[in-house]
Amino acid sequence: MSQAVATHDTHEEHGEHPTCTGIPNKKMFMWAFLASDCMFFGCLIATHMVYRISPPPGSPDLQGILDIEIVSISTFLLLMSSLMMALSVHAIGKNNLKSFRRCILATVGMGMGFLLIQSYEWYHFVHEYDLTLTSSLFGSTFYTLTGTHKIHVIIGIIWLMTYYFYSFSGKMDHKSELDVEVAGLYWHFVDIVWIVIFTVVFLLEFVDM
Amino acid sequence: MFSSSSTTRKIAWLTGLPLLLLLLSGCSGYDPMAWLRDAPQSTFDAKGPVAEQQLQLFYVTLWVTAFIFVTVGSVLAYATFRFRQRPGDADKPPPAQTHGHPIVEISLIAAAVLLLVIIAVPTVRAIYDIYELPDDEDMLVIDVTAYQWWWAFEYPEEGVTTANEIAIPVGRKVKFNLRTFDVIHSFWVPKLGGKIDMIPNRDNWLWLQADEPGQFWGQCAEFCGESHANMKFRVFAYEEDQFQEWLEHQRSDAVDPEEELAVEGKERFQGRGCLACHTIQGHDAMGLAGPDLTHFGSRVTLGAGMVENTEENLVRWLRDPDGFKPGNLMALDQNVQNLTDEDIAALTAYLKSLQ
Amino acid sequence: MPMQNEGSSAKVITEERESKPVGLARAFKRPTATTGLVGWLTTVDHKKIGIMYGVAALFFLIVGGIEALLIRMQLAVPNSELISAQLYNELFTMHGTTMIFLAVMPLGAAFFNYIIPLQIGARDVAFPRLNAFSLWTFLAGGIFINTGWILNMLPAIDKAVPKIGWFGYANLTSAEFSGIGTDFWVFGLQILGIASIVAALNFIVTIINMRAPGMTMMRVPLFSWMVLVTSFLIILAFPAITIALACLMMDRLFGTGFYEPVFGGQPILWQHLFWIFGHPEVYILILPAMGIVSEALPTFSRKPLFGYAIIVFSGVIIGVLGFAVWAHHMFTTGLSTIAKTAFALATMAIAVPTGVKIFNWIGTIWGGQIRFTTPMIFALGFIWMFMIGGFSGIMHAAAPADGQQHDTYFVVAHFHYVLIGGSLFALFTGMYYWIPKVSGKMFSEKLGKWVFWTMFAGFNITFFPQHFLGLGGMPRRTYQYDADMGLNTWNMVSTIGAFILGIGILLFFYHLVMMLRKGAPSGNDPWDGRTLEWSISSPPPEYNFAAVPMVTSRDEYWARKMIPEKKKLIENEKPEKSIHMPSPSWFPMIVSIGILIGAYGMAFLKSGYSFVGLGTLFWPIVGLLIITAGIYGWAFEGPGGYHLHPEEEEGSGGYRKKEPSDKSK
Repeated sequence: MSQAVATHDTHEEHGEHPTCTGIPNKKMFMWAFLASDCMFFGCLIATHMVYRISPPPGSPDLQGILDIEIVSISTFLLLMSSLMMALSVHAIGKNNLKSFRRCILATVGMGMGFLLIQSYEWYHFVHEYDLTLTSSLFGSTFYTLTGTHKIHVIIGIIWLMTYYFYSFSGKMDHKSELDVEVAGLYWHFVDIVWIVIFTVVFLLEFVDM
Repeated sequence: MFSSSSTTRKIAWLTGLPLLLLLLSGCSGYDPMAWLRDAPQSTFDAKGPVAEQQLQLFYVTLWVTAFIFVTVGSVLAYATFRFRQRPGDADKPPPAQTHGHPIVEISLIAAAVLLLVIIAVPTVRAIYDIYELPDDEDMLVIDVTAYQWWWAFEYPEEGVTTANEIAIPVGRKVKFNLRTFDVIHSFWVPKLGGKIDMIPNRDNWLWLQADEPGQFWGQCAEFCGESHANMKFRVFAYEEDQFQEWLEHQRSDAVDPEEELAVEGKERFQGRGCLACHTIQGHDAMGLAGPDLTHFGSRVTLGAGMVENTEENLVRWLRDPDGFKPGNLMALDQNVQNLTDEDIAALTAYLKSLQ
Repeated sequence: MPMQNEGSSAKVITEERESKPVGLARAFKRPTATTGLVGWLTTVDHKKIGIMYGVAALFFLIVGGIEALLIRMQLAVPNSELISAQLYNELFTMHGTTMIFLAVMPLGAAFFNYIIPLQIGARDVAFPRLNAFSLWTFLAGGIFINTGWILNMLPAIDKAVPKIGWFGYANLTSAEFSGIGTDFWVFGLQILGIASIVAALNFIVTIINMRAPGMTMMRVPLFSWMVLVTSFLIILAFPAITIALACLMMDRLFGTGFYEPVFGGQPILWQHLFWIFGHPEVYILILPAMGIVSEALPTFSRKPLFGYAIIVFSGVIIGVLGFAVWAHHMFTTGLSTIAKTAFALATMAIAVPTGVKIFNWIGTIWGGQIRFTTPMIFALGFIWMFMIGGFSGIMHAAAPADGQQHDTYFVVAHFHYVLIGGSLFALFTGMYYWIPKVSGKMFSEKLGKWVFWTMFAGFNITFFPQHFLGLGGMPRRTYQYDADMGLNTWNMVSTIGAFILGIGILLFFYHLVMMLRKGAPSGNDPWDGRTLEWSISSPPPEYNFAAVPMVTSRDEYWARKMIPEKKKLIENEKPEKSIHMPSPSWFPMIVSIGILIGAYGMAFLKSGYSFVGLGTLFWPIVGLLIITAGIYGWAFEGPGGYHLHPEEEEGSGGYRKKEPSDKSK
C-alpha cells in the first residue's frame, strides 16, 4: 500500500500529470528564480561598474594587481565543471549511477578548485596589496561581488554533494533526472555569471578606453 | 481679502471643488483660496521666473487633467446612473455580452496620447529653461552648505560668510552651489522656485531670481534626521544698492559691545567655550561646527529660521537647546548644559548686540 | 474559520495516510492533523494560508492605522508638543513600511493564495509547502521589523525603531547617523523580500503551469493575469532592494563604503537601487487591485470585461514601463536635463495604458445592469479615487512642476489616493466580493454601504486638503509646522478626516465579525459570478474541485450557466474517486524560525548592545543551522500525501468530516 502511494507521489513529481506548458513545475521554478538571480547579480555588477567608471580617489592600480592568468585557469575549471554537470544529468537519465557519481564528483571537484584558486587570489590581494573589504571602494565592491558568487558556488557544491551521498541510498534512479537537471540549471547559471564577472571585473580593466 | 488677481482666480478655479465654487459665488468677493496664496511658502505666489514657469506648467497639467477628469468622470457618472439595475431587471435576460470595440478603444488611446503631448511639450521646454545654467555674466554665486540642521552661506566673490539668512539682489540671477556637510538635504525657496537636493559627493546647483523685493521663506525638503522640521532659512531680496549695503555690512567685523552686560557676555562667550563651534569675526571666535554669529543680532530669525529672534526666544534656546530643537549638537555640549542663569543673561545681551 | 456544510454535496470522505517518513525526517513525525492549532501551523492548504495572510495583514493594517492617527493627531495643530521629533520620525517610518510591506502587499497575497487556484481550476498552488514558507517568513519579517517598539520599552536599548523613512535614504542610514533601528529595518526588509520573492516564484509557476485543461492564457481571469504580472515584477524588482540593503548591511556591520562619502561612496546610488525596486513596487501594489476591480465590475454589470485583451496587455505594458521610470522619484537630485526629459516622458507614457484600463472599465459597465452591492460601490469608488491619484501623478511627471511638489504634502496626497483610494479600496472590493466564498456567510448590505461611505468621506476629507497643503508649502516628514505658515485650518480638517476614515475601518471590522458570526449562508454563487471559483461550494472543499473543470471559454462558469450546450460539459465531469493531497509539514515554519533567529543575531552583531548574548556570531550561526536542517528535513520528507474521496455529485465539491486517522501508519 505504502509502496503504491510512494510510486504515485514520485510519478506526480515527474510530471505524470502533465502541466499546461509541458515544462515541469520544478524546472519552471528554477528558470524564474534564475531570472530573479540575474537581477541580483545585475545590481551588484552595476554597483561595481559605477565605482569603476568614476573611481573615487585612492583606488588601487588594478592593472598591477589583477592576475589574469590565474583567474583564467579558475574560469576554465568552472566552465569544464559545467560539462561534467551536463554529463551527470545524462548519466542519471540513463540510470548509470556509477557514472553519475563520478561526474558529480568531478563537477564538485572542479568547483572546489575554482573556490581554492579564488580564495588564493583573495589571500594574495589582502596580504600582498593590502586590498581589503574596507581599504577602498574597489575592495568593497570586489569582495562583495565575488563573495556573493562564491556563496552561490558553495551552495551548488552542497546541493550536488547531497545528491552524491543520496545516490547511495538506493532511492535515486532515472526518475531523479529532473531534480539533478534543476540543480544543473543552477550550476550552469553560476558559471555563466562568472563569465560576466570575469569579463567586467577582470578583462575590462585591461581595455584602455 | 478682496483680491482679484488672475492667480487668485485661477486658484479658485483649479480646486475643482464645487463646494468652494459655490461658496465663491455665494458670498461675492470672498476669496476662499486666499490663504493658499498668502501662505509664506505658497507655490502659487511666484516671485521669480523659475517659480513662475513651474507654476504655469502646473496649470497646464492641471487644466489638461481637469479636462480629462470632467470628461471621463461625466461618462462614468452617466453610465453608473443610466445602466443601474432597475426593479425587474434581474428577471430579464442579461444584457448583450459585448467584448470590446477596437475602433473606440484605439481612438481613446490616440486621444490620451494627444492630451499628453500638450503636457509634454511645455514640460520639456521648462526642463531646459530651468535646469540649464543661463549664460549670464551678471550672475551672483552663493555657496550653500547644509548641516544638520542649519545652513551656511558663502558669497565667494564678495567675501561674505553668513548663516541661515541671506540677501540676494532683485532682478539678478543667482546661482546656488549646493553642498552638504553630512546627510542629504534639499534647498527650497517655494516663492522663487523648486528644490534641488544637496547630496554628499555630488555637485548640485540651482539658479533662482527674485523679481521683486521681499522676504522669502525657505526650508529643507529632504528628510535629514531628527530636527528636519526645524531646518529653515530666509531669503531677502533687496534692490541692488541696498544689497550692496548689506554685503558691506556683512563683510565688516562684529561690533564691540558697549553695554556692561554685553561686554560680560563677550567674555563668557569665550570662557564657556562657545567659540569652539561658532565664528564671530573680529572677536577671536573661529569655530566652524555651528553657524557664523558675526551679525547675529541683525537676523530676523533664530535656530535656522525656526522662530523670531527675540531675547525671550534666545534665552529659551540657551537654556534648553534640545527641547528647542531636538537632536542638535549644541545640546550635547557639557558647557552648554552647565550654563547658569547669569551666563545666559550675559550671552543673550552680547549676542543681541551683534548687529 | 467556520466550516459550513453547504448543500452537503459530498457525504463521506475516507482518508488514508501513507507516506512513510524517510531519512532525517524521521526525527520529525509528519503532522497529520488538518484542524486545530497544529493543523493551522503545519498546513499547506492554499486556502488556510490565504486566510492567515489576510488576518495578519488586517492586524498590521490596524497597527499602521494607529501610527497614522498618531501622526495626524500631532499635526492637528501647529507646533504641537504631543509627540517628540524622534517618535514622530519613527511613526512615519513604520507607518510607511507597515502599510506597504505588512498590510497592502500581504492583503493582496491573501487573495493570490485563496483565489488564484480556484480561478484557474487548480487543486492547490504548484509548491504548497513553499507557500506555507512564504507565509511564515512574512510573519517573521513583520514581527522582526516591529520588535523595536517592544525593545524601546526596555531601559537598556533605545532607538530600536527605525526612523529613517520607509525609503531609508543613504547616508542617513549609516552607522554614524542612525542606531540599531536601522539594522532592524534592513534585516526586516530582507526577510520580507525573501517571503515575497518565494511567493511570487510560486505564483508564476502556478498560474502558468496549473491552469485547468482548456484554460489558455487568454482565458485566464483578469485577476490571475494581473497577479502573474505582479509576480514577475516582484522577482525582478526585489533583487534591487535586496542588493541595496546588502550593501547597506556591509557598510553598517563590516565597514565597507558603498554609501559612505568619506570612502568616495555615492549616497545617490542607494536612491537609484531603491527606486529601481520602489517604482515597480508601486505597480506591485496597484496591479492586483486593478485585477480585483476587473473581476467585480463585470460580475455586477452582468457583462464580460470590455476589451479583455487590451486590459491584459496594458497591464503587461505598465509592468514593463514600470522599470523605466524610477528616476521620476529623483527629479530634484540634479539629474542631467536629458535624463530628466527621458524619465518625464516615460512617466507620461505610463498614463496611456493606465487610462486604457479606466476606459475599458467604463466600457464594461456601459450597457450593463449595474447592481450597487458593497463590493461594486467600492469598485466604482476605486475608479474615481484612482483617477484623481493618476492625475496628480501626471502632474509629477512634469519634472519642473515636480520641483515644487516633490517632498511636499502634494505627493503625500497623490500616493494616498493611489494606495488607499486605489489599492485599499480595491482590496476592500475583494474582501466584500470574496469573503462570502471564503466564509460561506453573507454580510448585510446596509452596513456595508455605511462602511463604504464613511471610508470614502473620511479618506477624501483627509487627503484632498493635503494637495493644497503641499502646494501651500508644507514639506513632508516634518513633525511640526509653524503657526504662521497658513496651514492650520486644513491640517485640522485633514486630521478630522483621518479619524472618520479610522471609524470607517473600525466599522468594517465590526461588519466582518458580524458577518462571520451571524451572516446568513451565502450559497455557492451569491453574485451570479462568472469565474470558476463560484462553481464550487462556499467555503470550498479542501481539494477545491471534485472534478477538474474543462474550460471552454473566458468566463467559464457564466458560460456554463447561460449556454445550454455547455451545461452538458458539467455532466461529463465526473468527480474523481480519489484525490491526492499534499501532507502538512512542520519544516516551512522551522526554516522561517531559523531565518528569524539568524536575523536577530545579525541585527545585534555590531550594535554595541549585548542582549542575552546576542552580540556575537552565535545566534546568526544557530539561525543558519536551523535553516539548513529545516531545508534538509523538507527535502527528504518529500511532498508526501494522502487521499480524499469525494462522493459523486458533480462539479461542486464536498465537505469533509474528520475521520480518526490510522495511527498505525
